[in-house]
Amino acid sequence: MRSGYFKETIAQQIDLTDSAVVRIWLALLVVVLVVAPFLLNPFYLSLLTMMAITMIGALGLNILTGWTGLISLGHVGFMVLGAYAYAISTSTWKLDPLIGLLLAGLVPAFASIVVGIPSLRLTGLYLAITTLAFAFIINQLILEFDGLTQGARGIFVTRPTILGVSFKSDTAFALLCMALAALTLVATLNLRRSRVGRALVAIRDNDIAARVMGIDLTVYKLNAFITSSFIIGVSGALYGMFLSYVTVEGFPFLLSIEALAILIVGGIGTALGAVLGTIFIVLLPEFTSELFSLLGDETARTLSTGAHELKSMLYGVVIILFLRFQPHGLVGLWRDCKRLWVNWPLRF
Amino acid sequence: MTYLIELLISGLSMGAIYGLIAMGFAIIYKSTGLVNFAQGEITMIVAYVAWTIATHVSGNIVMVSLGAIAFACLFGLAIERVIIRPMIGEPIFSTIMVTIGIAVILRSSIIFVWDAVPHSLDVGVGRDVLVIGDARVRSGQLGVISLLLLAIAGFYAFFRWSRFGVAMRAVASDDRTAMLMGVSAARVQAVAWAASSVIAGIAGVMFAIIHELSPTMFVLGLKSFPATILGGLDSVLGSALGGFIMGAVENLAGGYISSGMKEVSGFVVIIVILMVRPFGLFGERRIERV
Repeated sequence: MRSGYFKETIAQQIDLTDSAVVRIWLALLVVVLVVAPFLLNPFYLSLLTMMAITMIGALGLNILTGWTGLISLGHVGFMVLGAYAYAISTSTWKLDPLIGLLLAGLVPAFASIVVGIPSLRLTGLYLAITTLAFAFIINQLILEFDGLTQGARGIFVTRPTILGVSFKSDTAFALLCMALAALTLVATLNLRRSRVGRALVAIRDNDIAARVMGIDLTVYKLNAFITSSFIIGVSGALYGMFLSYVTVEGFPFLLSIEALAILIVGGIGTALGAVLGTIFIVLLPEFTSELFSLLGDETARTLSTGAHELKSMLYGVVIILFLRFQPHGLVGLWRDCKRLWVNWPLRF
Repeated sequence: MTYLIELLISGLSMGAIYGLIAMGFAIIYKSTGLVNFAQGEITMIVAYVAWTIATHVSGNIVMVSLGAIAFACLFGLAIERVIIRPMIGEPIFSTIMVTIGIAVILRSSIIFVWDAVPHSLDVGVGRDVLVIGDARVRSGQLGVISLLLLAIAGFYAFFRWSRFGVAMRAVASDDRTAMLMGVSAARVQAVAWAASSVIAGIAGVMFAIIHELSPTMFVLGLKSFPATILGGLDSVLGSALGGFIMGAVENLAGGYISSGMKEVSGFVVIIVILMVRPFGLFGERRIERV
């Protein structure tokens, strides 16, 4: 029996996991996820794809909100920019989808510099306000420049063929999204263990102390903002492909709230939290509609007319309840369970 | 020239609405250090309640305004007591997220409690068109401008001379010392929430009288952010003036450049202010001490 955790080298310290059991479970999970798209029916397949896309966005926001401690309400703005960057470069300019995906990251990253430089010099609060405005303004700009973006009509997007492999079918597209999600997860986990990641967490925990230790606040905050916008932009492009149509209406402001809700429900400041939160939030509306359909036709009909509103209401309630009663989120719950399991019958 | 004057007057009346909501932001920020992202939603809810009173109980202007004010007051107190007060001691990040949560819930509750169709709030006043010189103005527009001026005067007097106003300023400047002096910070916070939702509610009702009532009214809160940033987040009177300026800027940009610029102008102003004078025109410059 393991009596405690002893780590003797830096390598062990920053190792993602030191347990063989965890590695085996992870390998099993990967196998299941690779096989699953071939077996699932279209509805569950679309849920899985949705989860992968949402997870990429949530991981991106996690860099900014979870690790650096800055609230951004402009999530949807970066998503929509990424989606349009991809749509315009591949559908209008007929560029290679890979270049399209790269642009889908670079354009929001550039926009984040424009928004970030004035607001990041100040406390985090100002970033929330400017990004909130940004999310609304970007929609307006897209409608305004209708020569490039085709205004309210939107742009039709086809699913890509990358390096000769076609991702037209739902199964292949789900695999693409999951592969990108896995890539993002590994990338953000590695970022967290690097000097940059430690600097970001230091800024979140105590910015004055971080500054004293030689961390340039503005540079690192801006770095976090750019990186997170890049990732969010890619998730926006994937979402556009998933909808197969990019319009301003396809990206409601609710997506920003959804992303924040995911982080809070999962547990702010951990990649695992972003993953768990995504699963919870994507499944939440499905569960609720199941639950309400048990109540009878009358309620079900009211709910179908206000499905969007019901969804946002649920996010609000979930945000408040988790912040109030379980600030560490699902990750906190999971840790408590683990501790209970390992230490039982002792408390500590 | 007439065009300019008409633009200015409708801009100022819109600005007065922004100013009232921005004052609401500033009152809460000043007394609790919290930005209330649900301000626009509270504005909207109060306007809807006023509409319900006007259509179901009595269309009398006095009844409607008293009812709306009473509701706004209770609503602010309830939110503060049930949701915000238990968050005392939590990181400011969490509390702000909670206000975002409230905003989302309130925003979507409209469609369940009322409906998604725009309504007009008709209380018999405020819609008649007055002709001043060559410019045509609605009386409601003049009404809301004078209401804001009244609110500015009222709050100035309140903070300057009333015992409770002084207590509020004390809590804003240093809550621990204020508590040692026997000021109840919790009560100050409750009053701040009530006052802020009353002002926001007045703005909402006036907006509904001049324009119309719709579930997208919460955008007013978002559009008031530039006003309060311009005036200074911690300056109640500055925010009110910021509202006037923003309303005029927005309307002039919309009238002379393009209607798209009308939406963007507030954002441009925010960025410029944050670059030049991040604490606003009248805000207190923050000095960081370690």
